[in-house]
Amino acid sequence: MTGITKRHLMAGALALPLAAGGAFAAQADTLTVAGSGGGLAQVMDMLYDQPFTEATGIQINALATTDRASALQAMMRSGNTIWDVAELSPVDYAIASTNGWLVPIDWSRADPDGLLPDEARLEDAAVVATYSTILAVRSDRLPEGQAMQSWADFWDVETFPGPRGLQNSVMDNLEFALLADGVERADIYDLLATDEGVDRAFAMLDEIKPHITAWWTAGAQPVQMLADGEVAFTSAWNGRITQLQAEGVPADMIWQGGALKPSYMAIIRGTDMEDAAHEYLRMLLTDAERAAQFAELVAYPAMLPQLYDHLSAEAGANLPTHPDNMDVQFVTNALFWAEHMDRLRERWDEWMLE
Amino acid sequence: MSPGQKWTVLPALALALVMFAVPVALIFREALFDPAFTLTHFERFFGRPVFQSVFRNTLMVATIVATACLLIGYPMALFIVTRPPRWRPLLLFLVLVPLWMSILVRTYAWMVVLGREGMLNHALLTLGLIETPLQMLYTSGAVYVAMVQILLPIMVITCYSAMTEIDMGLVRAARVMGAGPVRAFRHVFLPLSLEGALTGWAVIFILSLGFFIVPALVGGRRDALIGNMIVNQVAQTNWGFAAAMAIVLLAATIILLALLRLLASKFLHSPRQEST
Repeated sequence: MTGITKRHLMAGALALPLAAGGAFAAQADTLTVAGSGGGLAQVMDMLYDQPFTEATGIQINALATTDRASALQAMMRSGNTIWDVAELSPVDYAIASTNGWLVPIDWSRADPDGLLPDEARLEDAAVVATYSTILAVRSDRLPEGQAMQSWADFWDVETFPGPRGLQNSVMDNLEFALLADGVERADIYDLLATDEGVDRAFAMLDEIKPHITAWWTAGAQPVQMLADGEVAFTSAWNGRITQLQAEGVPADMIWQGGALKPSYMAIIRGTDMEDAAHEYLRMLLTDAERAAQFAELVAYPAMLPQLYDHLSAEAGANLPTHPDNMDVQFVTNALFWAEHMDRLRERWDEWMLE
Repeated sequence: MSPGQKWTVLPALALALVMFAVPVALIFREALFDPAFTLTHFERFFGRPVFQSVFRNTLMVATIVATACLLIGYPMALFIVTRPPRWRPLLLFLVLVPLWMSILVRTYAWMVVLGREGMLNHALLTLGLIETPLQMLYTSGAVYVAMVQILLPIMVITCYSAMTEIDMGLVRAARVMGAGPVRAFRHVFLPLSLEGALTGWAVIFILSLGFFIVPALVGGRRDALIGNMIVNQVAQTNWGFAAAMAIVLLAATIILLALLRLLASKFLHSPRQEST
């Protein structure tokens, strides 16, 4: 008799958290969107989230998150999807896509008029924004009459003396090193897939290493370092430099050899909000006027070509997807990095300690 | 404890089991099964010099930070405990204020102080002590300064609470018996407060082992700690390898603390033998 009672108690205790979890998950009028928070989330809230709620009655629960691939892995293992939609970096997207954690996108609903270029319409994700790792230069620290124009110039410490910064990251830097060594943009990833190519990139990095005073890890750092004069030349994310220029710091962006990266938005497997998610994506992707306002505010534009119709030539020229800038950059190969990141990062970490 | 009372510890025990034992067991499973039993992750850790040199660096940084905190925090606690009782709450409050600020904010504040055009360089240049700015930010020194500043309050509090438990009558008795202030401190106060100081050292040491934000923001390229490596692996969804590194760190910590305890029990609690 007591045995049965105990078993009942156990079952009750185990069922309790599950029931509570179910109650929270079943809110049909809320779409949970995992983004990166901060100022970007404020702009999203103003331009998209609030109007979306007004139009559909569906609330947007915007979360500030990091390490989204890892969080998705936790959700998939526990079988408990708590995000409906997530913004993913190239490597996070590649991990999530190859593991099958994303729902295929019905493009007849997300972009019914076919406004987006093919690069933005993936089977299981949409490109909602773009950003570039570019070369940022304090123009007042350049030698008289000289202009820095490429990664080769960044490597040229004789013509351009001064402290330099690079990100403490293997991604981007191997590409920049090969460009500085005269490799064509189109050949970068073919070369990096070979041991010789990686050796060649590290040999170039050996040359510049003594001149790098700071290896940044957070996007705010290069901005701070340029403003404080800690470095004169550094790699940086384009949107941050736009802000710096707005504050009156004489900083230039060099698009030549910039690493353009798509920011993906995907619907997470296990969500019961697929319809609302498609509706939300359609708003993010196809409204050229809002996309132009967004690009003006954060400098991370969508791939919608029509957005440039709503921007001044001046504002447009500062954006990564502007045709002039697209022509001189390369697109970071997410699949390459998802495959080789582990091995190359180990070598990078070793190299950093040397 | 009566047999009835014994049951009152069960909730706490259950909590410890769910919140501590189960997660640790899961970490072991993550590191050792993929899905079949494997030692690959540990082989990778011990096979590549990069991980071991980062690991050694982590132990060294933790030792130096904990020792520096002890050397600064112990006299601070001693100063507070020897003030009149009405002053102590204010002094303790001043020590605690920085603890309520986020580590991130305090680290960024150090970037402002130590930068090339930062406050410290500015002051030194104005005073004519240096002619060109010193490179202080993005060095190991910056990591030590920031970590010591962040962890120091914990050391002061630990030492202070140990010191308040000391019967000051014993120190007075030593003075009455003819010991000078230094001798009374060395043979009475110091041995009685040493256990608290060692506890503080151990707490700071353990906390330091897990740091990764500070070295990432103010350190140079050689200042990576094992925490940085674990974070990278977690972000890349390599949980098995991250778990293996966490286990190595846990094992090393347990061994080091056991050694510390052994040494402490050998040399502590015997002030009389020491003084002969």
